Amino acid sequence: MNRNRRHLLKAALAGGLAANLTGCGLLPRKTGHQPEHYSAAVGLPDGRFGVSTFNRLGTPLWKADVESRCHSGCNRPGGNEVLFFERRPGWSFYVFDATTGARQQRIRAAKDEHFVGHGVFSGDGRWLYATASRYHEGEGIVAVYDAEQGYQRVNTFDLAGIGPHQITLHPDGETLLIGLGGILTHPDYDRLKLNLDTMDPALILMNRRTGNLVGRLRPEHPRQSVRHLDASPSGQVYVAYQYQGPLHERPPLLARLANGRLQAIRFDDETQAGLANYIASVIAHPENDLVAAASPVGGTAVVFEGSTGKLVAQASIPDCAGVQALAGGDFLISSGQGQLIRLGAHRPAREIASLSLYWDHHLI
Amino acid sequence: MPSISRFLCASVLACTVSTGFAAGNNPSQPDARMHWHQAIQSGYQSLAKEADELRHAAEAYCEAPHTKAKTRLEQEWLDAMLAWQRVRFVDFGPVERNNLSWQFQFWPDPKNLIARKAGNLLGSDQPISDERVDRSGVAVQGFPMLEYLIFDEAFAASERALPAKRTCTLLTAVARHIHANSQQVSTDWQDFKTPYLNNEPYRDTTIKAGMAALEILEERRLAQPMGLRGNGKRNLYITDAWRSGASLQTVEATVQGLQQQFLPGLKDLLEQSGEAAIADRINRQFTEVLDNFPAQNPSMAVSLTDGQAFRALQNLYVDVSQLTTLVNDEAAVALGVVRGFNSSDGD
Repeated sequence: MNRNRRHLLKAALAGGLAANLTGCGLLPRKTGHQPEHYSAAVGLPDGRFGVSTFNRLGTPLWKADVESRCHSGCNRPGGNEVLFFERRPGWSFYVFDATTGARQQRIRAAKDEHFVGHGVFSGDGRWLYATASRYHEGEGIVAVYDAEQGYQRVNTFDLAGIGPHQITLHPDGETLLIGLGGILTHPDYDRLKLNLDTMDPALILMNRRTGNLVGRLRPEHPRQSVRHLDASPSGQVYVAYQYQGPLHERPPLLARLANGRLQAIRFDDETQAGLANYIASVIAHPENDLVAAASPVGGTAVVFEGSTGKLVAQASIPDCAGVQALAGGDFLISSGQGQLIRLGAHRPAREIASLSLYWDHHLI
Repeated sequence: MPSISRFLCASVLACTVSTGFAAGNNPSQPDARMHWHQAIQSGYQSLAKEADELRHAAEAYCEAPHTKAKTRLEQEWLDAMLAWQRVRFVDFGPVERNNLSWQFQFWPDPKNLIARKAGNLLGSDQPISDERVDRSGVAVQGFPMLEYLIFDEAFAASERALPAKRTCTLLTAVARHIHANSQQVSTDWQDFKTPYLNNEPYRDTTIKAGMAALEILEERRLAQPMGLRGNGKRNLYITDAWRSGASLQTVEATVQGLQQQFLPGLKDLLEQSGEAAIADRINRQFTEVLDNFPAQNPSMAVSLTDGQAFRALQNLYVDVSQLTTLVNDEAAVALGVVRGFNSSDGD
């Protein structure tokens, strides 16, 4: 990180925070909410942390300081708010005006709970579902907030498991999909993993109105920690693992939900080695059958066919982590070295922007 | 919507489905990993030997708690702690199992869990046993707990101070736990030889381990306690081994360990990559750090308060910082290793 910081400091002194578009005039448009904007938690060259939104010209629309490092966030459907969650153990999430970056609210975690970096809205933008942990008991929960009531906490759903991470909404609009990592941590013990011998990770399916658990799908190996996931508009669900075993073991790191179970997707040995048992993001493209995933540990991003698992593209991108679907069928990959890379099935990966900051794990 | 031609002007990365990866494309260099494996094995064997002597010293002291036995116990704790510091940079392989690294040394401890856990164990009615220590978590199981029992000034003035029977029971149980773990990790490291040598990704893993250790040394073990970060206040209590006054000795041992166990393999790789000049500069900088180490190993408490001692600490910081830059910037770049903002995050 020091090396990055030193490099970025030089870049920042030379060019400020604006993007250096690599020979291009515009960044590609995203799919989904806020297609003209890119938002992410960022690390700044001077060691501080923030949240930033850029337009397609690579111009920062705003940059907001935050008290500690954030991880991921979500745009509020039908509104002009973007939320970001502090990195695990997260003691707050922040509500920003998506246009100006003005911080509207800072919502603190309830007593004896912490957030884990992710949340998702109901389709109408009213209810916010945030994954969290009751850390004394080690119980994973979904904390429910009413955005129309100033993000008042209105409910808590038990996950009957440990270590939830990413949460998203199935296109049916009713089912929450939750990656349950299975790893017990406690804020008193930094990020120490306290239960690797008894992990019980799963993909959890939950009714968003009642909190009833409607599915618990376990990976083949209990050390395949289910962290990240995505669902395509057609309802295809993909999960990404972080394997908690030795590096020389190379189990599958991705799976699709099919026929009531998690069907593993495994690439050739060299590709698996490049993913280094760790995937930070997985995104199913809404316009086609392609899925992209990124591994900062292995410095590798991949694109594969969701239905077959066939690898169609890969790229060596140091510290890559964030993935977004682009209008037209490609993906955008962000890196902790400030790069934005366009990666698709039918053309070589291209660096399209370089910024004097560290993109944190997720790009929204 | 921009036309595709806009993007054709962009730089094409060295990557398609048909190309390989940085990690996978490196030619196999088993010599470096062989060197590392042997050196680290030696480090773990030394830790096991010192931990055995510590265990015996703890048991001997509790059987006959006279001054000489206490002095021996203090010295054996320090010797074993320093043996751990020399191999502490290894953050992968067998030491990952059961959080052994954390069991050896729970650090940092901003909430003073060590003292709280000791108070809970010693104050309860439940018997203290090896099994109870096994179940009590990492704050109980390592060198910092022993340091608290042996060196903490406030504890030494309490009625539970050594050689109180219950405290002795905890002391010897923790010492046995450290010894068992040190034997385990030494044996497991030997068994780890085949996968370590046969799997190319362990090259980068080992380099990153050395880089991380130097970064922690520079930032968290020197800069932060010296008040060079954050609120600018000097803070003894975030150093390791502050209770025993051995913080700087632990820093020195870590540098020695990196020189003995990490540098040889790194040097191999740099020389094989035509970067012998960087290897030479790193070699010289290790010597510079150790030659200029503050004389007589003053305690960190003195170094943070005495003007002359603080200047010596500043010089040490500069030397370590230059070493970190050489390894983490120049050598890592030359070897294509990236330890990034996201890759070291863990989420």
